Amino acid sequence: MENKQPSFYEEVRGDGISRKDFLKFCATMAAFLGLESSGIGQIVKALETKPRLPVIWFHFQECTCCSESFIRASHPIVADIVLGKISLDYQETLMAASGVQAEEAYKAVMAKFPGEYIVMVEGSIPTENEAYCCIGGRSAKQILEEAVQNCKAVVAWGNCASAGCVQAASPNPTGAKPVHKIISGKPVINVQGCPPIADVMAGVVVHLLTFDRIPQLDALGRPKAFYSRRVHDTCYRRANFDAGLFVESFDDEGAKKGYCLYKMGCKGPVTYNSCGIIKWNDGVSYPIQSGHPCIGCSEEGFWDNGPFYQHLPSIAGFGIETTADKIGLGLGVATAVGVAGHAIYTNIRKKKEITNAPETASETEKPKAL
Amino acid sequence: MAERIVIDPITRIEGHLRVEIEVTNGVITDAYSAGTMVRGIETILKGRDPRDAWAFVGRVCGVCTSTHSLTSVRTVENALGISVPPNAELIRNLMANALYIQDHVVHFYVLHALDWVDVVSALKADPAATSTLAQSISAWPKSSVGYFTDVQKKFKNFVESGQLGIFANGYWGHSAYKLPPEVNLIAVAHYLEALEWQKEIVKVHTIFGGKNPHPNYLVGGVPCSINIDEANAVNAERLAMVGKLFEDAKTFVDQVYIPDLLAIASFYKSDWGAIGGGLTNYMSFGDFPTNGYNNPDSFKIPRGVILNRDLSKIHEIKADDPEQIQEYVNNSWYDYSKGDKVGLHPWDGETKFNYTGPKPPYDHLDFSQKYSWVKTPRWKGYPMEVGPLSRMLVGYASGKPEFKEVVDSALKALDVPVTALFSTLGRTAARGLETKLTCDWALEFYQSLLANIKNGDSRTMNNEKWEPASWPKEAKGIGMVEAPRGALSHFIVIKDKKIENYQLVVPTTWNASPRDPAGKRSAYEESLIGTPVADPKVPLEVLRTIHSFDPCLACAVH
Amino acid sequence: MRSRTLPMREVHVWEMPVRVYHWVNALCVTVLCVTGFLIGNPLAFMKGTEAYLNYWFGTVRFIHFVSAFVFFFNFIFRTYWGFVGNEFSRWYNFIPLKRCQWKEIINVIKVDVLQVSHKEIDSIGHNSLASFIYFLTFLIFLLQCLTGFGMYAAMSTAFLPKLFSWIVPFMGGDMHVRQLHHILMWGFILFAMVHIYLVFYHDYIERRGVTSSMIGGWKFIEEDVIERHENRSEDCPKD
Ligand code: HEM
Ligand code: HEM
Ligand code: NFV
Ligand code: SF4
Ligand code: SF4
Ligand code: F3S
Ligand SMILES: [Mg+2]
Repeated sequence: MENKQPSFYEEVRGDGISRKDFLKFCATMAAFLGLESSGIGQIVKALETKPRLPVIWFHFQECTCCSESFIRASHPIVADIVLGKISLDYQETLMAASGVQAEEAYKAVMAKFPGEYIVMVEGSIPTENEAYCCIGGRSAKQILEEAVQNCKAVVAWGNCASAGCVQAASPNPTGAKPVHKIISGKPVINVQGCPPIADVMAGVVVHLLTFDRIPQLDALGRPKAFYSRRVHDTCYRRANFDAGLFVESFDDEGAKKGYCLYKMGCKGPVTYNSCGIIKWNDGVSYPIQSGHPCIGCSEEGFWDNGPFYQHLPSIAGFGIETTADKIGLGLGVATAVGVAGHAIYTNIRKKKEITNAPETASETEKPKAL
Repeated sequence: MAERIVIDPITRIEGHLRVEIEVTNGVITDAYSAGTMVRGIETILKGRDPRDAWAFVGRVCGVCTSTHSLTSVRTVENALGISVPPNAELIRNLMANALYIQDHVVHFYVLHALDWVDVVSALKADPAATSTLAQSISAWPKSSVGYFTDVQKKFKNFVESGQLGIFANGYWGHSAYKLPPEVNLIAVAHYLEALEWQKEIVKVHTIFGGKNPHPNYLVGGVPCSINIDEANAVNAERLAMVGKLFEDAKTFVDQVYIPDLLAIASFYKSDWGAIGGGLTNYMSFGDFPTNGYNNPDSFKIPRGVILNRDLSKIHEIKADDPEQIQEYVNNSWYDYSKGDKVGLHPWDGETKFNYTGPKPPYDHLDFSQKYSWVKTPRWKGYPMEVGPLSRMLVGYASGKPEFKEVVDSALKALDVPVTALFSTLGRTAARGLETKLTCDWALEFYQSLLANIKNGDSRTMNNEKWEPASWPKEAKGIGMVEAPRGALSHFIVIKDKKIENYQLVVPTTWNASPRDPAGKRSAYEESLIGTPVADPKVPLEVLRTIHSFDPCLACAVH
Repeated sequence: MRSRTLPMREVHVWEMPVRVYHWVNALCVTVLCVTGFLIGNPLAFMKGTEAYLNYWFGTVRFIHFVSAFVFFFNFIFRTYWGFVGNEFSRWYNFIPLKRCQWKEIINVIKVDVLQVSHKEIDSIGHNSLASFIYFLTFLIFLLQCLTGFGMYAAMSTAFLPKLFSWIVPFMGGDMHVRQLHHILMWGFILFAMVHIYLVFYHDYIERRGVTSSMIGGWKFIEEDVIERHENRSEDCPKD
């Protein structure tokens, strides 16, 4: 097959992007990826010489907002080029072809580029009954299992593909499962968030392209470059946290001064994401900056850690407002009552022993250590 | 002989939609639409804190992101008797407006345009002629010969790479494409512009709700505080940014979207202005309150139903009337405790899966029985079309001057009668006209917000009923919103401070649903009947009509 | 029934390290509960001021972490002492592996809890039920250290906390770790309430000077009890 694939750089130059812009893009990406300045050269070189990477992007049980987030990638040339530097051969939201013609597009990639293509997945996979998600008459599970067989790596977009997200929240009626619980034997990058930040998505793609290997992942499969710090540790309201200045109710004096949202249930202290650093939509803001507590959207099972406006989750089976403290306090009172009751009981039952005092002190012997 | 054609997946939509058509002598004689993915979000909501519901239902869809969240907070507020401060109402309007503009622009260019625009033909365009043409229809500055030359070159390189990516296997060269190469080239250029631009207007969500997609909402108001003397709140800088974003949006819509829409429509009006009309009933819940959500008369978009295309009468909607809105599951993969014949008002709604279709992999669905995850909603038993066309028609029929003005001027520009609205093209045009109106409304709301703040009102939250202790033992609520794709309603039953039942009846549920017990088709199926198809194996015509509704199946099923 | 006229002997039960451990532990737990409770439910008394003027919440957390380290090493030390200390502090007292320990547990329940029997309990150190409860509290100590340092690992670069960085992914996220850590605090509070009551109860009923034994190390024990203790059956733990 002598299908000359132009490198990313050729592609970009062909698109009328100047070398200066190109280098700027590489520098930005290097910064996102937390590279030393020498890393920029590596990115430049990679993008100048590598052919476009074939990508198949599946949609399963999802809301398409990972796709929506993806197209918000904000560095000037990212929106233009992310489409051009990878070869997005199957992507239901964006692709021209439908039906049979669409299916042929990804089958062609699988046949033509075994071992070379990337499978990106948006959405979870139902397991309760495979018919809960079908495309072209085949189930999500069948499609995924077939497609990953010869792929190079899998990118799991968002909380859906990484952890099951909202449809996996209790009682998970469809038995929704994330990608890493369905497939095995292939590296899976969990790009967490509901959705992930656009620039994080772009950053992961660039990492794959540039270094030709998957980024370093944390223990939950998330790229360390974007998920190694808690939202809390990079939050601009952190000074208020340390100072003990908290919003007590929405739009109160504290809220108007940008106090910490911890008491409104902020999950920043238990959530790993780049919201405080990269921020959203070209660095405009992020949930906490807009006055709403973080709901923990890049964490596994965050939907069941509610209610959202409470610092700690409710205890299952005790109603929505019952925290550990309420139960603890109840048990504390019960214990105090029990102790008091026992003391009274003792005074009645053991009256004899209590009043039966020793006759003389002389009857005790000299001390002797054992 | 009737031929059965399956189109699955339908792409350039949100979600998983399967359409099967029967073609007889080059014309569609029957059609079925099926939603093939389900998540069970209504079930998941049971037992949760009503104040959290906005986040869950927000995840129903990331394309019409925020619209379910808005509906949810309205629903809970309706149940608990909360009215939000005027600033909160205005900020919610601004966020909804931003969504309309972004969603409609993305739909037109990214999801719908390729049905009308032949990308490959754009390679044959003469950039100089393209530039002249572009300048004759719009004042948009990016229209030089050099600009179009660059775009064309970009695409040429792309095509020559042999890796066509998202454009692979498109229907390029199909006889139904009618645009001259120059118009195609303009559209291709603006496809890229739109993709680049759409990420700007959503920053309105980021400012007020912290992110997009899936901005944050709050029962009782909005999460952001206004404090013009503070760096940590909505202040002059943030407000100025919002103003600028809407002004730029208006420019983009006036100078790019509307001229392109009219240019493209002028080449297709003769046939597609009469194809794909489908149902004759249109419904709008109305939206954009100017004097509180509980006062529908103050809405920018009026509420009402049009039956049988009779624009002289608008019927009143009462969502809490158990006889008006009902959902059926006779053709959907669910069980009702009272059987398949009944329709349930959503307060009594049930969501219990019962998949009876073929085991995947399968070639065909069996349409003699249940065949979709979409339920079938009816208004007084009538199937309804919802969406921008319905809104424009209800607005037009109610005689609102701003609606009359945009509709009449578009009809005049295209030289078509008002009946041309009842078509595939009419639907697509209505969406554009509505976007234009939305830009104006947004700037109006923006001014009102500034005026309020200037007058010393900075409240954005009503905390009175925040604590569950202040709630009644039982409460029921309804929230109604005009989502980008049409009339959206949520229904809640709250008991012991928890969600007892939560049901969503969604625009695409109305439009994409399977048949009701009387065998009546819903909008998608009905609109396909009678459509001529040049080559049944290359379903371009089907895509045109289906895309004109802007399907969202994640919404429809949820 | 116990006769109050029997000769008694002073027995050195709690060696200095055990006593020091006990009071350091009691102090740490108290501080950790108070600061921990504040971390979970911060007060809002600084309202209206500016962030750069205050650091009280940071201080509360700092005290929590400092006490946490002391608590942790103190606990490690006690575990060590369980292998080298005197017979009353040895580990086997705490784990009821022998029949006679279970018999004593049942006796204690009958005598001290339900008070349906007036037989004597022949223990010199902790009775078997108390020991077993202490064993359970040691497990809670351990869990509290695991969850606490698990959380702390994310905010520290130090060697020790980093050893615990596997905890969070193991438990499926910080939220679960935090929730457990918070719930366990109540375990400490409830234990302390009952524990202090029972110390006073025993002192009041048995008059062996239990309360002061954790200060001076000495208890007063009846001669016959000591005798029986020395001639325990093979079944009972012995050095
Ligand atoms: C008696 C033992 C302890 C008790 C009763 C206790 C109690 C608590 C409580 C109630 C919280 C607040 C949790 C919440 O509601 O968010 C907390 C937080 C915390 N504790 Fe402890 N704790 C104990 C020991 C430890 C230990 C040994 C460590 C080890 C480092 C530790 C580290 C932490 C950390 C890191 C936090 C989170 C603080 C923050 O991020 O603001 N704790 N503790
Ligand atoms: C006024 C407070 C306290 C007093 C008077 C007190 C007294 C005592 C006494 C007398 C003993 C020996 C009991 C026996 O013979 O079975 C003991 C053991 C013990 N106490 Fe306390 N205690 C106090 C507070 C606490 C607190 C707050 C804790 C921790 C939560 C605690 C944990 C323990 C433990 C773990 C032991 C077993 C010691 C060992 O064998 O290492 N105590 N205490
Ligand atoms: N149908 C639908 Fe939506 C919209 N607009 C919501 O209500 O798309 Ni995702
Ligand atoms: S992770 Fe969240 S944002 Fe992404 S598809 Fe799932 S629900 Fe939507
Ligand atoms: S707002 Fe949330 S993330 Fe920010 S400092 Fe407060 S608790 Fe931490
Ligand atoms: S909710 Fe999600 S977007 Fe960031 S601030 Fe929290 S992780
Ligand atoms: Mg529903």
